[in-house]
Amino acid sequence: MSAPVHADGQWPHEPEKATLEGRNKVLGFWLFLGGEAVLFGTLFATFLALRNSIGDGPAASELFKLPMIAAATIILLASSLTSVFAVQALHQNRVKSMIQWLIATVVLGFAFLGLEIYEFVEYVHEGHTFTTSAFSTAFYTLVGFHGAHVLFGVVWITILIVQVQKKGLNLVTAPKVYVSAIYWHFIDVVWVFIFTVVYLMGKVG
Amino acid sequence: MAAQQAASDQSKRRHKHEGPQKHIVAFIFSIVLTLIAFAAVGSAGEVNTTFIYIILMVMAILQVVIQMAYWMHMKDKGHMLPIVFMFGGAIVALTCIVMAVYWVWWG
Amino acid sequence: MAHTTHTVKRYSGLMDWLTTVDHKKIGVLYLIAGAFFFGIGGIEAILIRIQLIKPQNTFLDAQTFNELITMHGTTMIFLGVMPIIFALMNAIIPLQIGARDVAFPFLNALGFWTFFFGGLLLNLSWLIGSVPDAGWTSYVPLASTTYSTHHGVDFYVLGLQIAGIGTLLGGINFLATIINMRAPGMSFMRMPMFTWASFITSALILFAFPAVTVGLVLLMFDRLFGGNFFEVANGGNPILWQHIFWIFGHPEVYILILPAFGIISDVVSTFSRKRLFGYSSMVFATILIGFLGFMVWAHHMFATGLGPVANALFSIATMLIAVPTGIKIFNWLFTMWGGSIKFTAANLYAVGFIPTFVMGGVTGVMLASAPADFQFHDTYFVVAHFHYVIVGGLVLGLFAGLHYWWPKMFGRVLKEGLGKATFWMFFIGFQLTFFVQHFLGLTGMPRRVFTYLPNQRFDLMNLISTIGAIMMGIGVLMFLWNVLVTSLKPANASNDPWEDGRTLEWTIPSPPPEYNFKQTPLVRGYDAWWKEKMEGNTEMQPAEPVGSIHMPSPSILPFFMGIGLFIAGFGFMFAKDDFNNALLNGLFNNYVVAGVGLLITLTCMFLRSVIDDPGYHIEKEELEDKGVKA
Repeated sequence: MSAPVHADGQWPHEPEKATLEGRNKVLGFWLFLGGEAVLFGTLFATFLALRNSIGDGPAASELFKLPMIAAATIILLASSLTSVFAVQALHQNRVKSMIQWLIATVVLGFAFLGLEIYEFVEYVHEGHTFTTSAFSTAFYTLVGFHGAHVLFGVVWITILIVQVQKKGLNLVTAPKVYVSAIYWHFIDVVWVFIFTVVYLMGKVG
Repeated sequence: MAAQQAASDQSKRRHKHEGPQKHIVAFIFSIVLTLIAFAAVGSAGEVNTTFIYIILMVMAILQVVIQMAYWMHMKDKGHMLPIVFMFGGAIVALTCIVMAVYWVWWG
Repeated sequence: MAHTTHTVKRYSGLMDWLTTVDHKKIGVLYLIAGAFFFGIGGIEAILIRIQLIKPQNTFLDAQTFNELITMHGTTMIFLGVMPIIFALMNAIIPLQIGARDVAFPFLNALGFWTFFFGGLLLNLSWLIGSVPDAGWTSYVPLASTTYSTHHGVDFYVLGLQIAGIGTLLGGINFLATIINMRAPGMSFMRMPMFTWASFITSALILFAFPAVTVGLVLLMFDRLFGGNFFEVANGGNPILWQHIFWIFGHPEVYILILPAFGIISDVVSTFSRKRLFGYSSMVFATILIGFLGFMVWAHHMFATGLGPVANALFSIATMLIAVPTGIKIFNWLFTMWGGSIKFTAANLYAVGFIPTFVMGGVTGVMLASAPADFQFHDTYFVVAHFHYVIVGGLVLGLFAGLHYWWPKMFGRVLKEGLGKATFWMFFIGFQLTFFVQHFLGLTGMPRRVFTYLPNQRFDLMNLISTIGAIMMGIGVLMFLWNVLVTSLKPANASNDPWEDGRTLEWTIPSPPPEYNFKQTPLVRGYDAWWKEKMEGNTEMQPAEPVGSIHMPSPSILPFFMGIGLFIAGFGFMFAKDDFNNALLNGLFNNYVVAGVGLLITLTCMFLRSVIDDPGYHIEKEELEDKGVKA
């Protein structure tokens, strides 16, 4: 189904669900996110189990710098907002505006990644490496899994931006953009728990 | 076929598009909840640690609920199955977390 | 429907099988691959039993024995029976719900190839010479680098992670298919039990497999990158592995048995020529078993010392599962009650399943009692229990399903006489093998030990057990012979070869055309086909006029994505090895091989994203030419 617009020449209300392929894609992606919830739940469980096993390494309360975490949080929250604006533009068939919001999302995503990499490098300098303690291993695994998801997300959305510019916004590309936005919000939701459970609770001790 | 028909019926009516206001409000809520959480950490040492943990978790869960409802559109109709499966995932995730906290962290 | 005609390259021969996205062909691929791994697991089982045929046997040494029990369990569960379940799900579910295809044909193929290459990686350990030897549960610290210095457990973690991706994709695909692709009128409460059971199984896969993926990642990080998750010296915790493994592992056993429940429900109802007794209670019981399956994992860990409160709670929760399972057992019995039963080979397996599974269930309740479990733990009683539910339950269910749906999958009815003989050989062999193991366990024989001393009252029972195992092996060979003989016959099975078919798959040709239904059927009730037959109709009412049918294009990308992960697996495993060869050292030690593998997979993902698949259409005229009745 590669028709550029709907059968009656109008842009449908929910273009991502206007075709059977689109409905399958959106549903299948939600199912996948249900599985991702378990994946991150297990990683959080592992981290919680081992959060106090610091061995000879630095403790969370000495290590974490809250201003940087606050900045990362604001950046990711803002990227979620730009992403939802992109979906609004998608629903209203405003291609240019949608692409601008998507670009903003990608830029914010890269900013978040940059901060995270800077943070990790700092920690390694302070003697908090992957192999230091059970706590450090669990920390890098949980936060690193989230970071890898962010990286996958920005690459994915970038590819979609190029695709939409080449092929236009139609009933094939619309579900792809919609699904990537849902993914991006999910990453944001996971981050809310990471800054709460890992950083803030770690700072409290 | 039938679904396509229904979809085009829908599009013949002038469909209403929601404005950005709701999402900006959700964003402000998220920021406020985040600030409360960070502020709670600032009071560490003066207040009971368990109490701070509870505040932090409540703020996180509120924020996630708002974001899922508005940004992930779970409040909109036609999202029954996403809610069911996300809820299922959350239950299993919670089971893992209870396990880890009860037997490994406290145990 | 106006559309432009796209010319799509359609392959034949080997390329057809490598590129297919047709759920029926993928079902066949799953069946062949599953049977291959099932055969390997079976040979391993026979070798184990030969070693145990007499006391102080020297047929195998202890290390080889450990490798065999590890690979037998891992191969059978992840690579043997699960793919055969997926084979039946692929071949039958779209037909039972009146769909032309699954929701994600491409992902379906990808799921198969990742499973296949993951399984291949795991089993190549035999050729490379370091085989997993820490048991199928791979408990740490035994599986840590401290006590397992060779690559065996690396094969386990990498192979299962890759295969697990495939299983997860399969689960998502079937959930989406059953939710979105049902024919008009096929409401949830009109779905055949096999479809229902597969739906719940897929949901369990969705929620259980991510947990084991994380567990395997943790173990991999510990082993390959020096992590400390399970290293006690650095603050790690081995109990964590057990919890994560069993939070996955217990739902996994329900992932295995629920499809068998579904098969038995369909087979018993068909050959009793009666509507399934208590259909809605069956659905409810299936959902309840699925839910409770997640809440009982710690009953595998009573012996680790969870404390009396947890022990009591998990005991009770486990015993609760007997209630919905009991509902199912009685419903099958009441379905048969007063029916005009035909004892075909498929139905023999189904009827043999019921008492055998009840025995496995009863020993399950015995094991659920925490104080008694301290006695049973790690004895042959446990081995007897889980083989009663997995072989006596699932494998008999799979044989029932294969005999029942073979004509639908291949257009040929398996030889009935030979099938019945196979059943008796396999069934008697099974009871001989495992019934005595209950008593071996109660007498005190520990599991996973490679030999035993004479005159402890183990000798005779072990001999009987080995004879039974050989009979089961002969049974499997008889089944293969039956397949071979049948495949030489002409493919002339009718649409409804059992004549008592109740569900939609029996309304279309055997084997079905690639588009399954020329016209999507209109479903007017539970047991849709039976309902039409009872009203004197010879075919389903169509829900749409004959029109051109849109089909997805074949693609080689899933195959290469599997290969990419396979190469990456090797790359990560040997990244720290010294090959005495500058080139190999350079390639592996700098993660070049791992990188290339991942790059292949990611490139294929990129190509899949940017290249639109317009698919192709089968035109109305082509449909008429074939003269196929929907």
